[in-house]
Amino acid sequence: MLSSLFVSVSVITLISLFLALLMVIADATVGNYGMARITINNDKVLDVEAGRPLLSTLKSEEIFIPSACGGRGSCGLCKVKVVEGGGNYLPTELPLLEKEDIDNLIRISCQLKVKNDMSIEIPEELFSVRQFETKVESIRDLTHDIKEVRLKLIDPPSIEMKAGQFIQFEVPEYELTDEAVYRAYSMASAPSETDVVELQIRLVPNGICTTYVHEHLKEGQDVSINGPYGDFFLRDTDRDIICIAGGSGMAPIKSILLDMAEKGSKRKARYFFGARSARDLFLVDEMKELEQKMEDFKFIPALSEPQPEDNWTGETGLITDVVHRLVESAPDAEAYLCGSPGMIDACIKVLSDLGVPQEHIYYDKFA
Amino acid sequence: MKQTPEFDHIQQQMQPGVITLEGFLGSDKRNLIDIIVEDEGTVRRHDQTNQAIAERMQYFRDAGFDGLGEFITLDENFDVRVDSVRGKLPSPFGGPGMYEKVNTTVLNKKINKEITFTDLHIHFIKDHGFYQGKGSSYRLEPTDLIEILQVAPTEV
Repeated sequence: MLSSLFVSVSVITLISLFLALLMVIADATVGNYGMARITINNDKVLDVEAGRPLLSTLKSEEIFIPSACGGRGSCGLCKVKVVEGGGNYLPTELPLLEKEDIDNLIRISCQLKVKNDMSIEIPEELFSVRQFETKVESIRDLTHDIKEVRLKLIDPPSIEMKAGQFIQFEVPEYELTDEAVYRAYSMASAPSETDVVELQIRLVPNGICTTYVHEHLKEGQDVSINGPYGDFFLRDTDRDIICIAGGSGMAPIKSILLDMAEKGSKRKARYFFGARSARDLFLVDEMKELEQKMEDFKFIPALSEPQPEDNWTGETGLITDVVHRLVESAPDAEAYLCGSPGMIDACIKVLSDLGVPQEHIYYDKFA
Repeated sequence: MKQTPEFDHIQQQMQPGVITLEGFLGSDKRNLIDIIVEDEGTVRRHDQTNQAIAERMQYFRDAGFDGLGEFITLDENFDVRVDSVRGKLPSPFGGPGMYEKVNTTVLNKKINKEITFTDLHIHFIKDHGFYQGKGSSYRLEPTDLIEILQVAPTEV
């Protein structure tokens, strides 16, 4: 009885070992795709080692595709047009793609592996995205749950960006993550301040990056970022401007306004900023200073639930209600919005009611 | 308790690095079915159902949405904020949908306790009675939810 049990265990162990050996051999041979050629925009050619996801393959060639989840296939941001060589769509890609994306040959680059020669198309501006090594110059509390982080660029020492764009912040391995992850944040600094990137980061309970920044990041520490990314930036027109933001949505709007002030813009601009009570307001003095510097700019903070101790005499109510109340009609305006999807959707509705054409409403949605 | 091959597959989807970096099980080595059954027992001992808890979570999520990303006062005793971070997650239980990373934070001012949950949490509890494994940073204790959200007793 005991000997037959021993034989059975031994046979199963041998079969398992054999199968494991087969898998190792298969990985080293069948799984070895050799080299592949990636042609980008029918122009640039890369000879790369095949077998890895397109996103990380491009990153190793210093071509950075924006990705908010660090390549885990959850954000759907790393879309790339694959003209040839992409093969069939994967089940992990399909939930992140609209029908229009599929019609346009868009793929999720963190899920799609490079297995053979490919031809892809990416926006030209991604060629200017760089990895930057930085040092934390300062950290300060803007509110009870938003910190301002200023990063001094070390290598390379300067960045060329448009006001309103974002970078990706690398969080190193720490207690909430076993590997480096990236998260996207808008830059609050002016484009003219080329040696610094300023961020405003609100604490999200259990958020990997926000917890790291709020509880672990110290002045003088090294931080890697890459960027700039994004098509949320001030359009070069003469239209009046309506900006609406809440919380850390302040960041890209601040950058846009600083840029306008420095360039002596004469455009009429109104900035509606929503907060719950006075303790959620920040940079009010800086915005008031901008009112003095700019020809036709007004900062309109509004509190949805002012507390008695706030002694608030300004606008009250939800920011959408305040915009509706103070803007009569704005068919010739363009709007810049930054905030949560709910806030953006509500603002788009109000602005549409006020006559702002949909194509002139630009937004940075945290989704 | 033995579990079905379908649950084995779902449990595999819940491992670290498959859908999320940390996974959904924490340090819990039990079968998924055992995790669900134990939490169901806790819920029943409080004269509650998973459905009632999920409905209460959904109530705060929907009402808090009106705050446009900022805290609002709700029903005198609660501060609620609904905001989002970039990204979407599929459910390890399958299905075609993706869940946006919408965070609902509820502060019960009466007892000064706060809890944060996502749309995926509501789906887990409503459709599967799953509160995540012990040791997971994202686990919600049924007793905390019942206490903080003041879930009214229901007939089980």
